[in-house]
Amino acid sequence: MALLKRVYDWIDLRIGAREIVKKELTGYLLPRNINEWYSLGSVLMVIFALQVLTGMLLMVYYVPDAEKAFRSVTFVMNELPYGWLIRLCHAVGSNMMVAVLILHMLSTLMMGSYKSPRELNWVSGFTLFALVQGISLTGYLLPWSQLSFWATTVATNSANAIPVVGPYLVEFLRGGKLVGPPTLGRFFAVHVAVLPVVIAAVIGAHLFLLKRTGISTPPFGSLETKKPWRPDSYSYQHHPGGIPFFPNYALQDLTSICVYFAIFLAVVFFLPNMLFTPDAFVPANAFKTPAHIKPEWYFLANYQTLKIFPSELLGLSIQAAAMTFLALLPFIDRSPERHPLKRPVFLACAIGGILLWIGLSVWGHFS
Amino acid sequence: MENDGRRKFLGVCLAGATTVAVAAAAYPVLQYLAPRSGAQGADKLVFATTDIPEGEAKFFEYAGAAAVLVKTKSGNIAALSAVCTHLGCIVQWEKDKQDFICPCHGGLYSAEGAVTGGPPPKPLAKIPVSVAEGKITVG
Repeated sequence: MALLKRVYDWIDLRIGAREIVKKELTGYLLPRNINEWYSLGSVLMVIFALQVLTGMLLMVYYVPDAEKAFRSVTFVMNELPYGWLIRLCHAVGSNMMVAVLILHMLSTLMMGSYKSPRELNWVSGFTLFALVQGISLTGYLLPWSQLSFWATTVATNSANAIPVVGPYLVEFLRGGKLVGPPTLGRFFAVHVAVLPVVIAAVIGAHLFLLKRTGISTPPFGSLETKKPWRPDSYSYQHHPGGIPFFPNYALQDLTSICVYFAIFLAVVFFLPNMLFTPDAFVPANAFKTPAHIKPEWYFLANYQTLKIFPSELLGLSIQAAAMTFLALLPFIDRSPERHPLKRPVFLACAIGGILLWIGLSVWGHFS
Repeated sequence: MENDGRRKFLGVCLAGATTVAVAAAAYPVLQYLAPRSGAQGADKLVFATTDIPEGEAKFFEYAGAAAVLVKTKSGNIAALSAVCTHLGCIVQWEKDKQDFICPCHGGLYSAEGAVTGGPPPKPLAKIPVSVAEGKITVG
């Protein structure tokens, strides 16, 4: 311990480590009524780090070649020691990341944390949501199974409905008329080189915005004097008399991370095939479309919407409108009230929207 | 004092649990990355004697490393590691001089693998070889 203290003193003399710790950890005060939902951001950062780590490990053996990709994934799953564990952590983790991200967004919606002055936090978070869906979609193709091949065929084909540029866009996305070896090369590059860097950068921007604006006070059981934000000059939202981030809230972050790991590892060890249909175990065959090909659970509502509307353009437009509405919500819902029970119109729309999304997903699953 | 003792005990428990968790996560990762045993190729390789003309050498992979089978003009057959003992480059057969040269730093070896010049500290490792019924068995 004495040695550690001497090392810490040595570093402190040079970079003022104690000052940083006081400012960013022990002296970083959070609202006293902060709740566990605020820890989902930390959980998401852990998931992202684990995805990067398991992704790097998979890249050691994965071969991004249409002739060899499926065999290399089978090799990782069946022959390498603990290869199944690394791959399942990556596959389950990608689904978990979307699920936790949705929960994080729902808590932000319910607590009105997207409102002024945090519009940019919401927009950067929504951008992350879109990017995570993109990285999941591009990663889905890489095993080169029947499931990944045909799910990508359907997903990329959706762009066809866009007037004028649609057919060119589909060809550009695929690197050819149909999904094939050039698509694998493109999706692999985007999945491992482009999107992780962009996501890391947007996470950085998201955290920067959080630090500059200050963390919001939950609208429930507020112990602080409410001081409405005034749009005339920049001001950081302080929480005098609040709890320190370290150790108090760091412990809550750790608790949430442990709860997440319990759920995540339960799926990895006890329900490993929950996310795989039989088509995931058959190599891609460009001449044989399997029956009942379905996308990942978080795209089921989009899939069902496209099936309901007779015109693909109409289906896509409705989805685009819904996404745009959500992305711009802080600029549409401008009332300062944040308590969900005091926003009946919002609450009715939010619950209705969630039920509609769940309903469409279930319908899509069983259709 | 009682609180200090409890704090220390919890600290030790937390450090122990963290160590176990890190070890539990590191073990599969190390196993996953470790070179695979049994991926070194066959223990024995068989060539027809007609595969190698007199005065020539045949390079092949043996036990996961480069090896060479050489038949001298006098008809002697030797199987050697083709990895130079200096810095690990692969030696080349010089048919006209009937010796091996390492292109990296000019190490020279005889057809039997003995060092005849340059920096190599040791001769090329010998691999067991036998000839019977028109077949050369290496290993």
